[in-house]
Amino acid sequence: MKSYVRRIGTLVSIVGILFFVGCAKKPVEQVKEVSPPKQEVAPVQEVKPVQPVEVPKVEKKPEVKVPSLADQIKEFESVDIHFDFDRFNLKPEARKILAEKASFLKAHPGLKVRIEGNCDERGTREYNLALGERRAKAAMDYLVFLGINPERISTISYGEERPLDPRHCEEAWSKNRRDHFVIIGE
Amino acid sequence: MKQKFYMLTIVVIIAIIVGGAKIHVNITSPGFSKLKVAMPMFSGPSDVSLRLWKLAKKDIEISGVFELIDPGTYLHQGPVSDIPTGTLKDWDLIGADFVMVGKADKKGNGLTLKVTVVETSTADKVLDKTYICESDNQPKMVHSLMDDFLEGSIGLKGIFSTKLACIADNGSSKQLYTCFPDGSGGCLFNGLGKLVLDPAWSPDASKIAFVSYKRGNPDIYVVDIKTKSTRLVSSFPGLNTTPCFSPDGRHIAFTLSKDGTPDIYIKSLDTNKISRLTNNWATDTSPCFSPDGREMVFCSNRGGSPQIYLKEMSTANVTRLTFKGSYNTEPVFSPRGDWIAFSHLAADGHFHIAMIRPDGTDMVVLKGTAKGDESPSFSPDGRLLVFASSDGNLYITDITGNTLVRITDGKYIYSEPSWQD
Repeated sequence: MKSYVRRIGTLVSIVGILFFVGCAKKPVEQVKEVSPPKQEVAPVQEVKPVQPVEVPKVEKKPEVKVPSLADQIKEFESVDIHFDFDRFNLKPEARKILAEKASFLKAHPGLKVRIEGNCDERGTREYNLALGERRAKAAMDYLVFLGINPERISTISYGEERPLDPRHCEEAWSKNRRDHFVIIGE
Repeated sequence: MKQKFYMLTIVVIIAIIVGGAKIHVNITSPGFSKLKVAMPMFSGPSDVSLRLWKLAKKDIEISGVFELIDPGTYLHQGPVSDIPTGTLKDWDLIGADFVMVGKADKKGNGLTLKVTVVETSTADKVLDKTYICESDNQPKMVHSLMDDFLEGSIGLKGIFSTKLACIADNGSSKQLYTCFPDGSGGCLFNGLGKLVLDPAWSPDASKIAFVSYKRGNPDIYVVDIKTKSTRLVSSFPGLNTTPCFSPDGRHIAFTLSKDGTPDIYIKSLDTNKISRLTNNWATDTSPCFSPDGREMVFCSNRGGSPQIYLKEMSTANVTRLTFKGSYNTEPVFSPRGDWIAFSHLAADGHFHIAMIRPDGTDMVVLKGTAKGDESPSFSPDGRLLVFASSDGNLYITDITGNTLVRITDGKYIYSEPSWQD
């Protein structure tokens, strides 16, 4: 079973490589050029059910659609980072997201970002204003650490005043304990 | 019948000099009962007299010292406008300590209300006065007479004509709002921004400091109650939040994050000079001064969780006051400096209003609504607390926790009440 899965995996990666190589009018030959270990290549060809992945059809229109800047900004702004209750430390997932945000900001040096720190409704309003600020600052500090000029970053805390999900349950609270990122132009 | 206060062993004695005589009212001793008031329906045009009677009834409910005897038990059913000699025993019979009767009359666009209050045990008239009001000022008139009743009967300075400030949320914006302690006389302050927070009275009640996001950042402003003119007090990058006036009214302390983590600063309103009061890696916020200005309480998470700390203003001494619970915030000093009230995350998982002595002893947790109570503020006489519940309403409790009255109407979602000094 395991080897079957591995075989499918190999096929998929080969197909993926083909796609990036971006030509492959003779896909089978291309596979050979990648020169995977023989004993693994052969079985691939036998895995018939996976064959319907029609690589050649994809190849016919090789243009890679580059999203417009507006779409990229939309995408950038759609990803928040999240925190634990009454905490502002950056979790591994948040650091990963911030690294992506840093790459985007490096690629677009003309853009500035506003980090909006938010809290869930638990805790008190006054304290949450301060907590939201610390959440925003934590993200800002990390972006600066990753090489973004602090002049390009501003922070604002909304405390618990702008919940994304107004419900009163952990699912909503975990969504609301977040830093939201807004591109504010140059 | 007598409602006993067994919840606390703390005895608070309020001594107030009235007309040269010192009256001691022991409001929280174990033996104290609320004073029973009989108040039959006022006579006069029924629409007017009912409205006025209801306003008086609400003030009795929030007073913390009075309790209305169920009108259904009265031997003299309303309307009643006077207490002829000989009928006093009928009120005594149902347990009334005081009888209040009134007669309303329309007068031009306004109206008058003649009120008589008699103490049944002595037959003394503690109040016998005609009140006059303009058409729209009925709450003010009733609160004024109830203040006179409170002072005339037991010598407590009235609190019914004082004002609360709070934040009213209509679903799309949060505005500054003021009202009387019973919730009447509501006034919305428009034009201060769409997101307004943290209202705090000046000691002379002429101004309110608040936070507004009007300029795209939480900045601190002061609005003059009468002229509605505003002044920008603090607008540094980052937080400018939780303002509170010093007892002399000439300074405002607040939270800034301009130098890194949130810390407490104070600004002179005369010279605009700003000084830093706390300097810590942790979050310091929500300052409030003791009435003599010598101490300041605030919230800090320097010990790992938000707790209440007390700072001596003349020294660098800072003492942690709260150790019970993992989340204690929003401390406020009582007007006499004998208590600090705050928001406490209790063992039941809900926030409750709690109180502690300035030396960190005697912590008590008030039952409140048990739905999540935050943001306490003391009445000017220190007997009562107003707070916001998670149900979106404001409530008044006395400091023993024995009185609990909802004062708002559900028209808005109310939060962050602040009772004038």
